Amino acid sequence: MPFLSFLLLFPLVGALIIACIPSWKVRAIKIIALCISLINFVVASGLWIVFDNSTAKFQFVEHIGWLPFFNMNAYIGIDGISLFFIVLTTFLVPVCLLVGWVNISKHVKEYCLAFLILETCMLAVFCMLDLLLFYVFFESVLLPMFLIIGVWGSRARKIRAAYQFFLYTLVGSVLMLLAILLIYFQVGTTDLQVLLVSEFSERRQLLLWLAFFASFAVKVPMVPLHIWLPEAHVEAPTAGSVILAGILLKLGTYGFLRFSIPLFPEASLYFTPLIYTMSIIGIVYASLTTLRQIDLKKIIAYSSVAHMGFVTIGLFSLNVQGVEGAILLMLSHGFVASALFLCVGTLYDRTHTRLIQYYGGLVHIMPLFSFFFLVFTMGNLSLPGTSSFVGEFLILVGTFQTNTWIATLAATGMILGGAYSIWLYNRVVFGNLKPLYISMGSDVNRREFWIFVPFVLAILWMGFYPQVFLDPMHVSVSNVIQHGAYIS
Amino acid sequence: MMGLHFIHLFENDFYALFPELFLTCTTMLLLMFGVVWSTSKAEGYPILTHTIAWLSVWSLVCAFGLTIHSPFSVMVSFYNTFVIDELTFLLKAMVLCSATAAMLMSMEYLKTSMLNIFEYSILVLLSTISMLLLISSYDFISMYLAIEMQSLCFYVLAASKRHSEFSTEAGLKYFLLGAFSSGVLLFGCSLVYGYTGLTNFEDIAKCLAGSALFQTHHSFLHLGMGLIMIGFLFKLTAAPFHFWAPDVYEGSPTSVTAFFAITPKIALLGVFLRLLLGSFYDLLFAWQYVLFFCSICSLFIGAFGAMAQKKIKRLLVYSSIGHVGYLLIGICCGTVEGLQAVLLYLILYIFMTVNVFTIVLSCIDHSKTFRLKYIQDLGLLGQTHPVLALTFSCTLFSMAGIPPLAGFCSKFYLFFAAMGSSLYGLALFGVLSSVVSCFYYIRLIKIMYFEQPSQLVTYGAIDHEKAILLGITTTVIVFFFLCPHSLFLWTYKVAYMFLG
Repeated sequence: MPFLSFLLLFPLVGALIIACIPSWKVRAIKIIALCISLINFVVASGLWIVFDNSTAKFQFVEHIGWLPFFNMNAYIGIDGISLFFIVLTTFLVPVCLLVGWVNISKHVKEYCLAFLILETCMLAVFCMLDLLLFYVFFESVLLPMFLIIGVWGSRARKIRAAYQFFLYTLVGSVLMLLAILLIYFQVGTTDLQVLLVSEFSERRQLLLWLAFFASFAVKVPMVPLHIWLPEAHVEAPTAGSVILAGILLKLGTYGFLRFSIPLFPEASLYFTPLIYTMSIIGIVYASLTTLRQIDLKKIIAYSSVAHMGFVTIGLFSLNVQGVEGAILLMLSHGFVASALFLCVGTLYDRTHTRLIQYYGGLVHIMPLFSFFFLVFTMGNLSLPGTSSFVGEFLILVGTFQTNTWIATLAATGMILGGAYSIWLYNRVVFGNLKPLYISMGSDVNRREFWIFVPFVLAILWMGFYPQVFLDPMHVSVSNVIQHGAYIS
Repeated sequence: MMGLHFIHLFENDFYALFPELFLTCTTMLLLMFGVVWSTSKAEGYPILTHTIAWLSVWSLVCAFGLTIHSPFSVMVSFYNTFVIDELTFLLKAMVLCSATAAMLMSMEYLKTSMLNIFEYSILVLLSTISMLLLISSYDFISMYLAIEMQSLCFYVLAASKRHSEFSTEAGLKYFLLGAFSSGVLLFGCSLVYGYTGLTNFEDIAKCLAGSALFQTHHSFLHLGMGLIMIGFLFKLTAAPFHFWAPDVYEGSPTSVTAFFAITPKIALLGVFLRLLLGSFYDLLFAWQYVLFFCSICSLFIGAFGAMAQKKIKRLLVYSSIGHVGYLLIGICCGTVEGLQAVLLYLILYIFMTVNVFTIVLSCIDHSKTFRLKYIQDLGLLGQTHPVLALTFSCTLFSMAGIPPLAGFCSKFYLFFAAMGSSLYGLALFGVLSSVVSCFYYIRLIKIMYFEQPSQLVTYGAIDHEKAILLGITTTVIVFFFLCPHSLFLWTYKVAYMFLG
C-alpha cells in the first residue's frame, strides 16, 4: 500500500476540494478540512502500528520519478527517526484547524488551504529521501507560513515578523542549495541512500557541513541566529505558533540528524565544540532572557530556544542515549510548547492582551485553565513524570559520557527553566485577580478542553512509559551512530 | 530564363524561411488593408486598431504553425546567410508565442487608450519578422540588418503615444542609445571582418579553431569581439550598459513595455549564444571574464536598484536586469548544461514575465482612466481582487526563486550548471542576490495583502484574453514542478545538438 504518498497527497486533494467550495460556506469548509486532517492523523498512527521496530531500513519506500534523466527522483520512506515527526505533524494540523474554529473570521477558506498545503510540505520534508527534494520542501514551508503570519497575525508588527522569518530562513538555506549541488557533482545523485555510502574528503566535508549548518542553525534556532523566532512567534496567530514551535523548529534538528551527522561524520566531530558552545550559550542566554520578557508568547518562544539548545547538544553527543533523548525532547517539545502556545491563545482570545502585567489570579476565574496550564508548565520545566524529563535526562546522560563540563553547564538550564516556568505561572495564575483589566473571563469551553486533553495525555504517556516511543527509533538511531563510527 | 535560374539556385531556401515570408506577406496585406480602409471616406474613416490587431494575432499563430511544421530540421540557406537548427526552432517558437501573448494582452489597451494607430500591430509584426530573421542569421551582415530592422520598429513603438511627453522622451532616448549601441556593434563586426576577412559565423569559428592553443596575440580580434559583446549587452540591458532601460521602459506605453520586456530578449540572446558559443567558442577564456563581470553587475544592480523603486514598471525593469544577470551566468559556463540552463531559464522567465505584465495591464479602473502606475496602487488588492492577488504573489514568489514554483527549477538548474563548470563565486553571488531580490518581491506581496493604501483603488474586470493568458501562465508556474522532465530533456537535446 502506498501509505506515504497517500499521506502526502491527501491534504493536497483536500485543498483542491476546498478551493472549489465557495468561500461563504464557512462551516462546510472547516468541517471538510478538519475531517481530512483527522483522516491523515489516523493513517499516520496506523503507520506507527505497522512500523517494523527491528530494522534500520527505510520502510514504506516509494519511488516517484521526477527528473530521472538527472538521477533526481522522489524517494520517500520513513525510519524510526522520522516516524514520530510524521505522527506529530498530522496530530498538530487538526489542532491548528480547531484552534481557529471560532476566532478566525476572515479568509477562512484560505486559512484551511494554507494549513493543508503546509501539512503536505512538512510531511514531505520528513519522508523525503532525496537531498534536493528535501531542500525543495524544506523551503516551500516558507510560503504558507509567510502568509499565515502575515494575514492572520495579530498586530501591525506582524509584517516585520513575516519578513524576518522569510529572509533569515532563506539566507541560510540558499547556501545549502549550493552544497547540495556540490554533492551532486561529486556523487552524481542526490539519493540519500546512495549518499550514505559515499565518502567526501575531509576538507570538503567541513565546507559542506558549514553550508548545511547555515540553513539548519537558522531553523533550529541556534543563538546568534534566533532573532526571527521571538518576532515570528509573537506576531503569528495561535495556530501559526503551534506549527512553528511544534514542527518548524524540528526541521532544523531533524536536518542535523538526518543529513549533517551521517553524511559528514568527520566534520560533525570537528564541529562538535562549536555546536556545544552555541547550544550552551543558547540555553543560558535564552533562559535568562525569558526572565525579563513581559510578553507571554515571547517567554515561551525563548524557552523554545533553550530547549532546542538541549536538543542540539544531545544530537552532537553522538551516542545512542544522547540522540534518542534529543529526538524524544523534540517530540516532547512539540507537545509542550504547542500546548503552551494554545494556552496563551486561549487567554488572548478572552482578553486581547499578552502582556503579563495585566494578568494575575486567573485561578479564581479559570480553574480548569489553570490546571491545564500547570501541567504544561511542569512539562516545560521537565518535571519527572512528564515527557521533557525523559528527553533531557537522556541527553544529559549521553552528554556526560562525551563531555562532563558541557553536561554540567547544560544542567543549569534545568534550574533556569524551572525558574522562569514557575515564575511565569505564578504571575499569571496566582495572586490577586486584577479586575480592572480582566473583568470578563470564562473558563475553557468544550472545544478548548478537548484540544488540551490529548496534549495532557501525550505528555504524561511519554513521561511514564517512553518505551513505546524509544523502541521504534532505537535501531535507526544506532544505525546512524554506527554509520559514522563515532564509537571508538 | 533568368527567373527559372534564380529559383533553381535557391532550390529549397525559400521553404526554409517560409514562416518569415508568410509573415512578411501578411504584414504587407494588413498594412495595405489598414491604410486604404482607415482613410476611406465612404466607410466613415473606421478605426481599425482592434481588427488589425486580431488579424495579426492570427497571422502570428499561423506563422507558429508553419515554424513547427517546417520541412527541415537542420539547414543552411541563402549562401550561408541563414541557418535553421534545433536552437532556432526553439527560439522562433518562443518568439512567436511571446509576441502572440504580448499582442493578446494589449488588445484591451489598444481599444481603450484612445490611440487610433493600427500601425502598432504592423510594427509588432515587422519586429517579429526581424527577430525571426535575427535568430536564423548566420552572418554578420544579416545579423546586423535584422537587429537594425527590429530596433527601428522599436523606436517607433516606444514613441507611438505621441501626445504623451513620456512616450516621446522614451522614444528619443531609445533611439539615441539604440543607435549608439548599434554603432558599437557594427564597429565590432567590422574589426572582426578586418582581422579575419570573414563575416560568416561558421567560417569565423573555423578560422579561430585552436587559436587559443597557439597563444597568438590578436588584440584587434579581441577588441572587435569585445565591441560586439558590448553592443549586445547594451541591447540585452545587462548591467553596466543598462541605464537607458528604466527610462525607456517606464516612458513607453505599458503594452509596448510588455512587448519590449518579453520578446526581444529571446532573439538577441539567441544570436548572442550562437556568436559566443559557436563562432568565438575558442576565445572562451577571453569573453568569459566580460560576461562574469556583467553578470555580477547585473545581479547587483537588479537586486539593489529595484529596492528603491516606487513605480511598478521601473521595478520590473530592474528585476529584468537581475534576470539578465542570471542568464549571463548560464552563458558564462560555456557548457552544454550552461546552454541548457539558459534556455530553460529563458522559457520559464518568459512565462513569468507574460504573467506579470498581464497583471499590470489588467489593473485598470472601471472608467478606464486610472492605470496601475505606483506600486502603492496595488494596496489591498488581496481584498478587492483575491484571485488576481494570489496569482501575482505566486508569480512574484516564483521570480524570487522560492521552491516549489517554476522559478526555482530554472534558478536551481542555472546554479547547477555554474557549479558544474566551477564558477563557484558566481553561483554564490547569484544565490545571495536572489535572497536580496526576494526582499522587493515580497514587498509587493506585502503591499497587496497587508498595507492600507492612502486611496483605495478598485479595478475593473479582466477581459477574456488576459484571463486566458493568466490562467495558462499561472498553471505552468505553479505546476511545473510536478513534471519538469520533458522540458529539461527537450532543452538538453537542443543544447546538446548545438554544442555537443
